[in-house]
Amino acid sequence: MRTPVMKSAGLVGSLLLALIAPRGVDAQDLAITNATILTVTNGTIENGTLLVRDGKIAEIGTNVTIPNGVQVIDGTGMFLMPGIIDAHSHAALEGGINEGSESVTPEVKVQVRNDDPTIFRALAGGVTAAHLLHGSANTIGGQSAVIKMRWGKSAEELMFKEAPRLVKFALGENVTRASSTAPDSLRRFPKSRMGVEHTLRWWFTEAQGYRATWAAFESDGGLEPRRDLRLEALVDIMEGRIRVHAHSYRADEILMLMRVAEEFDFRINTFQHVLEGYKVADELAAHGAHASTFADSWAYKVEAFDAIPYNMAIMADRGVVVSVNSDSGERIRRLYQDAAIGMKYGGMSETEALKMITLNPAIQIGVEDYVGSLEVGKDADLAIFNGHPFAPGSRVEKTIVDGIIYFDRDQADTLEKLLRQRITTEDQG
Amino acid sequence: MRYSNSRFGLGAATVAALLAFGSAHTSAQAKVGVEGTFLIRGGTVVVGTGERLEGTSVLIQDGRIAAIGSSVTAPDGATVIDATGQFVYAGMIDSYTPMGLAEIGRISTMQMSGELGQFNPHLRAMVAINTGSVMLGITRSNGVTSAITAPTGGIISGQAALINMDGWTWEDMALNGNAGYVVNYPSAQGGGRRGGRGFVGFGGGGEDREARAREQLEELKQEIRLARSYHIARQGGLEDEDLVYESMRPLVSREVPAIMRVNSQEDIEGAVALGEELEINIIIAGGRDAWKVRDLLAEKNIPVVLGSIRSTPGQGLPYDAVYAQPGVLVAAGVKIAFSTGSASNARHVPYHAALATAYGLSPEDAWKALTIWPAEIWHVDDEIGTVEEGKLANLFVADGDPLDIRTNVSEVFIKGRRVPMDDRATRLYEKHNARPKNNR
Repeated sequence: MRTPVMKSAGLVGSLLLALIAPRGVDAQDLAITNATILTVTNGTIENGTLLVRDGKIAEIGTNVTIPNGVQVIDGTGMFLMPGIIDAHSHAALEGGINEGSESVTPEVKVQVRNDDPTIFRALAGGVTAAHLLHGSANTIGGQSAVIKMRWGKSAEELMFKEAPRLVKFALGENVTRASSTAPDSLRRFPKSRMGVEHTLRWWFTEAQGYRATWAAFESDGGLEPRRDLRLEALVDIMEGRIRVHAHSYRADEILMLMRVAEEFDFRINTFQHVLEGYKVADELAAHGAHASTFADSWAYKVEAFDAIPYNMAIMADRGVVVSVNSDSGERIRRLYQDAAIGMKYGGMSETEALKMITLNPAIQIGVEDYVGSLEVGKDADLAIFNGHPFAPGSRVEKTIVDGIIYFDRDQADTLEKLLRQRITTEDQG
Repeated sequence: MRYSNSRFGLGAATVAALLAFGSAHTSAQAKVGVEGTFLIRGGTVVVGTGERLEGTSVLIQDGRIAAIGSSVTAPDGATVIDATGQFVYAGMIDSYTPMGLAEIGRISTMQMSGELGQFNPHLRAMVAINTGSVMLGITRSNGVTSAITAPTGGIISGQAALINMDGWTWEDMALNGNAGYVVNYPSAQGGGRRGGRGFVGFGGGGEDREARAREQLEELKQEIRLARSYHIARQGGLEDEDLVYESMRPLVSREVPAIMRVNSQEDIEGAVALGEELEINIIIAGGRDAWKVRDLLAEKNIPVVLGSIRSTPGQGLPYDAVYAQPGVLVAAGVKIAFSTGSASNARHVPYHAALATAYGLSPEDAWKALTIWPAEIWHVDDEIGTVEEGKLANLFVADGDPLDIRTNVSEVFIKGRRVPMDDRATRLYEKHNARPKNNR
């Protein structure tokens, strides 16, 4: 079975960017000293030092020898944590994130652009990687991209190359266009949750047939079957070569999708939004599905009315790997606040809450071997705060990707600097 | 150009829809607080004026703060709440929401904040507040005890009300039934940029928009001038009553301000000029570019109700512009208040303030912008906004700084009633958390 050819770079975007964004400097060995290090997987290290060599974490501890020639960042009073990972974003994508013309389109892929200022603002909120998904207009949408926030680099260079292939499914009000006021004659199937289940079962049955046809050809020879990129992608989903991230709200539809997947012998990797996940937390854990949710958004539509901020804590308590995501150019700026909501409602531990924006989203998008915790050998993707990331009054001072400082508040344009310039200009004027 | 039907306020259909929703969700509605005499004993009282009184008790009687001190004792029959190691704060205020007017998004019968027509100064948000809104319980559980609830639509949307998050009726809930007239200042800028023009072919060209805005601005001014003439005529003995102009008398007599919804520098300056020209008091709401005209706002003593801090900066502005603006305004002498613009997340207005404290606003001023400053802006500072004797007992007990997300609120009092700490979210939590584990 061949894989569909995929495009990943937005050429126009990269040309534009050369005009507006500074190119990042090359990787440099550096050390952050005297910081409170939140490792996520190995506790908190007070007055610790983290050494970066060749873009990777080389050493962490209280007794690290800093080699000559290494740039030193004084972390006194600072908190160092893994770069924040957003498991659900639509930033940095070419306009039109929905191929919603048909109900099933797994053969398409989102197109990344590198000139979206959201990338920089996300860095300023400590974010170093994000999962960029297709929209939720159809039951089986398109394939995603995973990027690192290498602001200033080309679209091609933004790609998180080690990330697996991922695809978006969607359930509920969006795919059925429940808010649509169009007459039935202008609407497409499905328009109910029942129809969504049938759509899934019908297409995966087609894909089973397609797989059998190719298997017969490969064992018995004969005329080569006609290639179908859509069915090929569905087979890749069934074979686990593409991970499923499913947009979902209600408990009934979450359970339905797990049962459909089990019928066709595959697994849903992660339920997105999953605002009623707390009602089927045991089923999620048993299926092996992860959950990526909002901290406190609710009531913006009927299927979001039973959303509670305790969702994260209940699911985590019952063994689900939980992340909190942005799905927004605004929330991506303060995911550290949203993670803290997990401590307030339902009493998550600090480490569990931190995991929701670091290791857990990394697991969900398949990059946990490279990022998500501060461990020797992992990529040097780091966020430096001026206080505990959950404390009021804390902000990001520096954000580092692959050992390169991509955000530095000292260098960035801030309102304070702008005011100083304006006052100076007015004085001279 | 008024819509005649709108003269009669919100119709029976609205009330019926709200009642129908309410009865379907009775079990989810928060209970009204319990009246009584309460002694919150031995906590640290954070007065809200900068003072912190350790080991201090607060006596609540007849709905008010009857006494504060280290030796205050519980009268017979009082309920004693031990606050040792805890903190007592004044209830927080969200200064712009659709609380009680809007429930679930995308459901038109649950979004009843806007009326037809352009000039509706006579419409009162207060009378359409659904006391069965599940948002009330959710909001107050985190110490947010009051909110501005604002009508929408048209040029003058109507009268915003300051309400408590507890009460048997809207009369019981209202702190100030006419806190301000919501004015959607006619904006010439599509995207809000100074001198910006609209996109041709999208909602008309820029020049069309500017011409329409100028026309609407003249209409707005004319309505206010007519209201003033009417006010003078009534003072002079006119007996015929006009419901619309009668409703504007507090505006032209400067008893109640206009809440000017403006964001660009040009519109803020326009709104200030309008207030000067027509001799009315104004409040800036939204105020994205207020930092550019902070000296003007400070000089004219015009407060700013900040739009949601949970937003992105305007095009070309520094990444921290939204977060840093509150500190810049306060440093210039402008009085500010925080708002979420949301009923569902008014509960988290302190975390809006927390973001501002990371970018220049002092924690003390952030607290004032959640309590005493909005109380002053909405003319209820003699009733709420600080923990002081004689004020209404709108206060809460917490185990730490309310701006810290990790802090837990344990007790909430509104008008001296001890409100139950369960709400729709806690009930769903308790139900599903109680499911036996691995019960598949």
